[in-house]
Amino acid sequence: MAYSDKVLDHYNNPRNVGSFDKKDPNVGTGMVGAPECGDVMKLQVKVNPATGVIEDAKFKTFGCGSAIASSSLATEWLRGKTVDEALAIKNTDIVNELSLPPVKIHCSVLAEDAIKAAIDDYKKKSENVGVESKAHA
Amino acid sequence: MKFYDALGLEPKLALDLDDLKKRFYDRSRQWHPDRFSRANSEEKQRSEEMTSMLNDAFRTLRDPVSRAEYFLRESGLELPKDAPPELLEEVFELNMALEELRGGDESARGQLVSAQERFAAMMGDADASLAGLFAHYDEKPERAMLDQIRATLNRRKYVSNLLRDVEKELNVHSAN
Repeated sequence: MAYSDKVLDHYNNPRNVGSFDKKDPNVGTGMVGAPECGDVMKLQVKVNPATGVIEDAKFKTFGCGSAIASSSLATEWLRGKTVDEALAIKNTDIVNELSLPPVKIHCSVLAEDAIKAAIDDYKKKSENVGVESKAHA
Repeated sequence: MKFYDALGLEPKLALDLDDLKKRFYDRSRQWHPDRFSRANSEEKQRSEEMTSMLNDAFRTLRDPVSRAEYFLRESGLELPKDAPPELLEEVFELNMALEELRGGDESARGQLVSAQERFAAMMGDADASLAGLFAHYDEKPERAMLDQIRATLNRRKYVSNLLRDVEKELNVHSAN
């Protein structure tokens, strides 16, 4: 199966690989795993608490080219979006942008799940600001 | 359940392996195609079918994991394919260490060795809890118990794949 040029581009030059300190209150971390292939994806957002805008996003994915490309693209899209705009990103947007074939759609689903998990984590943290922080899970 | 039927057993999750082996040998002798060399073609075919069925039944039932998987499928339960969420963090760290070791960073080796020990211990725990769940279910067959068995099998399978990856990598790099 041939990868599209866009997938190859993200795979060969992944954007925003890395990580933030997950204890930082402005950082949201999403960790998700794929059932079929055993892929693991970690995606993080760094939010400006005053504006609610995602100032930076990073990822690290262990998995196939499409999983790497999906998460790489996701971090590109996340930068500059508000938290609520980020939640509107759909896996089908990723499928269309990367021309993923049907057998690789689950990679885009994984990326969407990772975005949701990261935002969710950030929201939980920001609600707890001021409250004595619980021992981290 | 046909594998249990073939060996004349009640469908139970916990089985006595010596008894299972004896049943398999006795019945395999009884149905051995050599004993049907002068039988008519219908009987010959029956002997071959039974021999093949006994082999499948024994291979499936002698291992507690494949036995439980068979039992669940026969009970109409699909095996889950989800990555256990509580293991994701660990899997991620493990992949990081594997990547470092592949990149020639020998300091990752210690982390892999301790992961290997941890996963082996998890396998042991899973096997022990399966044995307990088997006994429990055989005594009192409740659907909820099958769900627990299913989750334990899923976790065990996932951990066993991880263990395989770690061992493979440790072997490759110790060869150098």
